[in-house]
Amino acid sequence: MRTTFQEELDLLEATLQEEGQLVLRALRGAINALEQRDEELADEVIAFDDDVDQHYVRIEEGIQLLLARQTPVASDLRLVLAILHTNLHLERMADYCVTIAKLTKLVPEVDPGPRFVEGFEEMGSRCEEMIRVALDSFGNRDLAGAESLVDLDELIDRANRRVVERILELGGDPAMREYGLRMVVVSRALERIGDHAVDIGEQTAYLLTAEFREFTDASHPTPREA
Amino acid sequence: MTESFTIAPVIDVAQAREEAHPSKREAVFDIHDLTVSYGRLTAISGVDFQIFRKVITAIIGPSGCGKSTFIRCLNRMNDLVPGTRIEGQILYQGSDLYASGIDPVEVRRRIGMVFQKANPFPKSIYDNVAWGPRVLGMRKDLDERVEKALRSAALWDEVKDRLKKNALSLSGGQQQRLCIARAIAVEPEVLLLDEPASALDPIATSAIEDLMHQLKHEYTLVIVTHNMQQAARVADLTAFFSLEVDEERRSGVLVEYDATSKIFTNPSDKRTEDYVTGRFG
Amino acid sequence: MSRYRRRRLVNRAMEVLATAAALAAVAVLAIVVMSVARRGAGALSWDFFTKPQALFGQPGGGIANALVGTALLVLLATAIALPVGVLTAIYLTEFAPRRLAVPIQVVIDVLAGLPTIVIGIFVYALLVIGHTQSGYAGAFALAVIMLPLIARATQEVLLLVPATLREASLALGVRRWRTVVGVILPSSVGGILTGTVLAVARAAGETAPLLFTSSIFANTVQTDVTKALPNIPVLIFTYSEQPDPALHEQAWAAALVLMAFVLLASLSAKGLLARSRRKLAR
Repeated sequence: MRTTFQEELDLLEATLQEEGQLVLRALRGAINALEQRDEELADEVIAFDDDVDQHYVRIEEGIQLLLARQTPVASDLRLVLAILHTNLHLERMADYCVTIAKLTKLVPEVDPGPRFVEGFEEMGSRCEEMIRVALDSFGNRDLAGAESLVDLDELIDRANRRVVERILELGGDPAMREYGLRMVVVSRALERIGDHAVDIGEQTAYLLTAEFREFTDASHPTPREA
Repeated sequence: MTESFTIAPVIDVAQAREEAHPSKREAVFDIHDLTVSYGRLTAISGVDFQIFRKVITAIIGPSGCGKSTFIRCLNRMNDLVPGTRIEGQILYQGSDLYASGIDPVEVRRRIGMVFQKANPFPKSIYDNVAWGPRVLGMRKDLDERVEKALRSAALWDEVKDRLKKNALSLSGGQQQRLCIARAIAVEPEVLLLDEPASALDPIATSAIEDLMHQLKHEYTLVIVTHNMQQAARVADLTAFFSLEVDEERRSGVLVEYDATSKIFTNPSDKRTEDYVTGRFG
Repeated sequence: MSRYRRRRLVNRAMEVLATAAALAAVAVLAIVVMSVARRGAGALSWDFFTKPQALFGQPGGGIANALVGTALLVLLATAIALPVGVLTAIYLTEFAPRRLAVPIQVVIDVLAGLPTIVIGIFVYALLVIGHTQSGYAGAFALAVIMLPLIARATQEVLLLVPATLREASLALGVRRWRTVVGVILPSSVGGILTGTVLAVARAAGETAPLLFTSSIFANTVQTDVTKALPNIPVLIFTYSEQPDPALHEQAWAAALVLMAFVLLASLSAKGLLARSRRKLAR
């Protein structure tokens, strides 16, 4: 029944997952460009954002058409709304990757040392893991997986704080100071990517429970240890 | 490590819609300035329209706006209503449908029709489908013809073991699909459907809609429906008819005709917008 | 007396009156059947049905020749009236334009109400004067009586066929006539048969037309339709004018046979109608 509708819905979700894969590639490219101080790679990452935007627009249009023509209800409606929000989050994540690449290009000549690089590699890997968990738990309708994103995000927050400490230790000359400033933004961008992954997890939870619920709230921090 | 970042998309949400766009298909019907009146009543006036091949075209609009009148002009069923006057031109594949040499009976064989209330003959299921071809001289391989028609109407599996039973023993939805099978058994090129699902429950309606998606690969379909959502679900192109009242004359006019996606997301005419949003019936 | 009580009484009174009227109607038929049966049953025998009329003055004999003659006359009349009646009805419901249909309808109604003696005289003038009485003339007269009955019954069933069936057939690209033959007539057969059976029952007992067209006949079984055919109604008439009480008894018996035939015909007509209704509605 309603095979066309189901196909269109599956198509939409598949395009979303595809967009997720694109975001993962963009992130990996941005991290690598940062670690290797590779300006060419950074340019490629920036250009690559067009592909993500294409998917973003296609999904937006697809959602508009689906809502207008198929009047989905119940779980179908929740799925469409979840795709709508997740689409936004993925697009923001990709924008943050572009931010990271642009900042890399601004300070290519500074070599901060291996510890720094390790820090960003760690944050970058955590982000990748979170994006994968977010996409998989959405696709598999896995509530536990979605909720686990909160703990993963906690790890990124800790890594973010560690990087900030190291940046403060950089001290000294103007080049280093500028580098430090830029890297704060990069770290912030990575932390935001993690937040958006949690948001995707919240969409998965909404899809499964029909409740609008934030996992954690910035204004009501959970009693967890830093 | 650099990789190619561009992934060719496996699927495209909007692509299918593009294929149905008017400019890409050939016109099967070409209608110019059509005006139909019964006695002193004008049913529709000044309709300019094109219907495209192997596309589902839906006609929506409030009651009395002339949708059924319009569709019945396409297979000359209006000839059966005394006092009908038709002005303007309807070209079917280039030929004038109402030219003096045209046989309306042949027109109706090539342009089939399915009605609002299922009306199977009080014969067996097999005979319902076979009678038309038999009478019209298509007697070869009648069994295969019947099976093909029933398969195309997604009814074969449900009736293949009881072809000799009376058609009236089927459910409403099945009877309607039988009527569709009966219509396509005579190998029409176009299928006109006048509110085919309005007498059916939601599940039977859904079955008919799915069927239409399959049928459009072989036939050009024109459907009249008062159910907007059905037009949204089913049609590639949608035409909105409305009533125009000026001085003493009330008649139906074509207000807007475009891709369904446009009609239901961003119609050009305010009257269309008012109708599809339910602000005005 | 309160209004309520009065209403109840009135209601009850009407019920009683209506029941009494119905019983009276049934009683009339019962009385007729019983008196005929009483007077005629004595003459019923195997010989009665198998032997032709006795020669003048001779005892015994039966109505075999009249039975055969009536059967032939009715058969012939049906052969004439059925196709004409059905085709007329088809023309009226399917093909006739408004301005023609109405006058033809009126003609049929008038024909149905025409006194049978008038029909008899008419056929006499047309077919008997200048020639002789014949089975043809008799059958023709009976056909004229049967025609409007069959036409009207056929019309009624044709009109019962829903317009949507006609539409469906025409929309397939099937011609008007083929639609009638293939879709409309098959659905109407039951009603047409019923009408025919009832018309036959009526015709079998008509006396007046046969008096003019087929009343001078021999005592033997005849099958030659160019000559007058013996028949039951005329036999009853002529026997009733004879002095011989044995013949009177035979007349009563023949009347009984006729009544039984009408009863049988009515019942079977009802049965046919019910069956065809079931087929259409299933």
